[in-house]
Amino acid sequence: MDALGLARLQFATTTSFHFLFVLLTLGLVTAVAVMQTRATLSADPVHARMTRFWGRLYVVNYALGIATGIVMEFQFGLNWSGLSTFAGDVFGAPLALETLVAFFLESTFLGLWIFGWDRLDKWVHLALIWLVALTAFASAFWIMMANAFLQNPAGHELRDGVLRMVDFSALVTNPTFGTAFLHVCFASLTVGGVFLTGVSAYHFIRRTAEVDFFRRSLRLGVVLTALATPMLIGFGFGQFPVVERYQPDKLDTVGALDGMGLGFMIQIGFVLLLVSWVTVPLLFRDWVVRLRFPLYLMVVGIPLPFVAAIGGWLFREVGRQPWLVQGVLTTQDAMSHVSRDQMLVSFIAFTGVFAVLAVADWVLIARLARRGPASSESDEAPVSPLVPVL
Amino acid sequence: MEGVWVFLLAFLTCGYFALAGFDYGVGVVLRLVGRDERSRREVLRAVTPFFLGNEVWLVAAVGVLFGAFPRLEGELLSSQHTVFVVLLAGLVCFTVAVQLRSPGWDFLLVGGALVVVVGWGVLLGRVLGGPVWLWGAGMPVLFSLHGAVFLAWRLSGGLRERAVRIAGLLVLPSLVFVVAAVVTAGSVPVPAFGVTGVVAVGLLGGVWATLRSRRHLVAFCCSAAVCALPVLGVFGARSVVTVSVMADVPTLRVLTWAAVVVVPLVLVFQWATWRMSRAAR
Repeated sequence: MDALGLARLQFATTTSFHFLFVLLTLGLVTAVAVMQTRATLSADPVHARMTRFWGRLYVVNYALGIATGIVMEFQFGLNWSGLSTFAGDVFGAPLALETLVAFFLESTFLGLWIFGWDRLDKWVHLALIWLVALTAFASAFWIMMANAFLQNPAGHELRDGVLRMVDFSALVTNPTFGTAFLHVCFASLTVGGVFLTGVSAYHFIRRTAEVDFFRRSLRLGVVLTALATPMLIGFGFGQFPVVERYQPDKLDTVGALDGMGLGFMIQIGFVLLLVSWVTVPLLFRDWVVRLRFPLYLMVVGIPLPFVAAIGGWLFREVGRQPWLVQGVLTTQDAMSHVSRDQMLVSFIAFTGVFAVLAVADWVLIARLARRGPASSESDEAPVSPLVPVL
Repeated sequence: MEGVWVFLLAFLTCGYFALAGFDYGVGVVLRLVGRDERSRREVLRAVTPFFLGNEVWLVAAVGVLFGAFPRLEGELLSSQHTVFVVLLAGLVCFTVAVQLRSPGWDFLLVGGALVVVVGWGVLLGRVLGGPVWLWGAGMPVLFSLHGAVFLAWRLSGGLRERAVRIAGLLVLPSLVFVVAAVVTAGSVPVPAFGVTGVVAVGLLGGVWATLRSRRHLVAFCCSAAVCALPVLGVFGARSVVTVSVMADVPTLRVLTWAAVVVVPLVLVFQWATWRMSRAAR
């Protein structure tokens, strides 16, 4: 494989890993914010315990996800310096806004939320988790805006051999932005819902003593999935007319990889829609728990929305080739002047550390999830140092 | 308008070196300060509250670099490809090792931190045109000093004493490095760099004096400033940051709106985090 192929494979691999973290972060933070809102309003301590338990899983995923985000950000300059040199004035703006408005603030709010536990006024603490959630979705907002520019460059003019920004509002109203952004938002809510459902189902399989705790968590998960999936599918299909109009080649020349991605995504989307709506009536009198076999399906289903998301991502990105910025800059021209060997080394290094990171994330989350809400810290396997604080 | 963004980039980068600098420094000296598992946990607990907040300064700085200095970003990163790749791999290992801490895997934590600090040293050396080996060896010393001073401030009892002793041992090598870096400075305009060097020597003297008189917080501020100073050196080298590498004014105007709101908010909230964890001690 030549340097260009390696650079593309590297970006695809690291983005896919990054995506796994991001989706769960967005989905879980919403669920945690809902739980904490109920905890603040209600006298029942179960809500506060739920916030703490699911909040820990969320924090671990976030802390490890940051590292993937840093590498992703550097990768633009490392391997695709042609993009920043030529289109950085326009493409860089939403990216910079993401790091400042969203990520910088999000981490700061989250740090205060973690260490403000039991120390801050409960309403201030509640406001903080909603601010974390809001800034998390703001991240998706800016990133999808930057991506939409690659699909359909808007708001720029070519001057002195580089793209200059002339109209920022054209970036915001880019037709390839809005629907895709909402699609991603509901995808992450689906991930959160399926994750909540799956982990709760696991505890029912093991005949947990925390029946009330996991009943509520499972319900929240199922309802979240049932509410998110129709919107998810709606905004998914809503993108076809846009793609047809602005990137007709994408649909005409569907290859094996992106075609498969699209197919998987659509099928998984419909399966989750169907299953979640069938499950909603079964929540009545805990039938779903008494039947038992749905519980196993729920655990098995945890990876499904992740697979779907990566499939959709492949369709969106592979389908644009050979353009990096549609009709303006080819992928070939955007690549840095870096030798094949350097590219190979960085590919192996990043893929290696990301794989370690993902495995570490799942090991930690599985440990915490298995441990359940009643945890005694002392002699158990170690987890993130952020966790004992919570 | 351009000046605002040069200032902001410098501010964010200095913030990263001064704050994340002690994360890495603590990582490097972890096994020197903490002689057994219990004390090592205590050492790491001292850093944990700030870990998330510190790391994002880098993300913000690189974001600003991309948005406001697009032609510098691509040039700088792709020309130092291998150094950045190794540095980032070290950064990821360090992050994982801190989160997934288990005693047998400390080599990943200490090693990751070392790779990061040596990486920044090598990068600074290359950008400033100084000898790479000197910077690659010197920056780890500065960051380790900063980490040890941080621990001297945040810990108590025997651990604090050990942190103070290690910090004290690192002051002299730091001084040697600063002097050597100024003497061997390559393309950097010498007067500006000389001033930076004199300030650094003064601050290192401050670290030594305040550690002796047990004013740990002041010592921490001094070592933080020392870690941030090389960044100012880079900005002082006029060949690195110029208007031609920057984005056009319409782009900067959009970004300014965001920065005016966000940066003060971040400062207030991070300050609140510091305040709160002080109250908890």
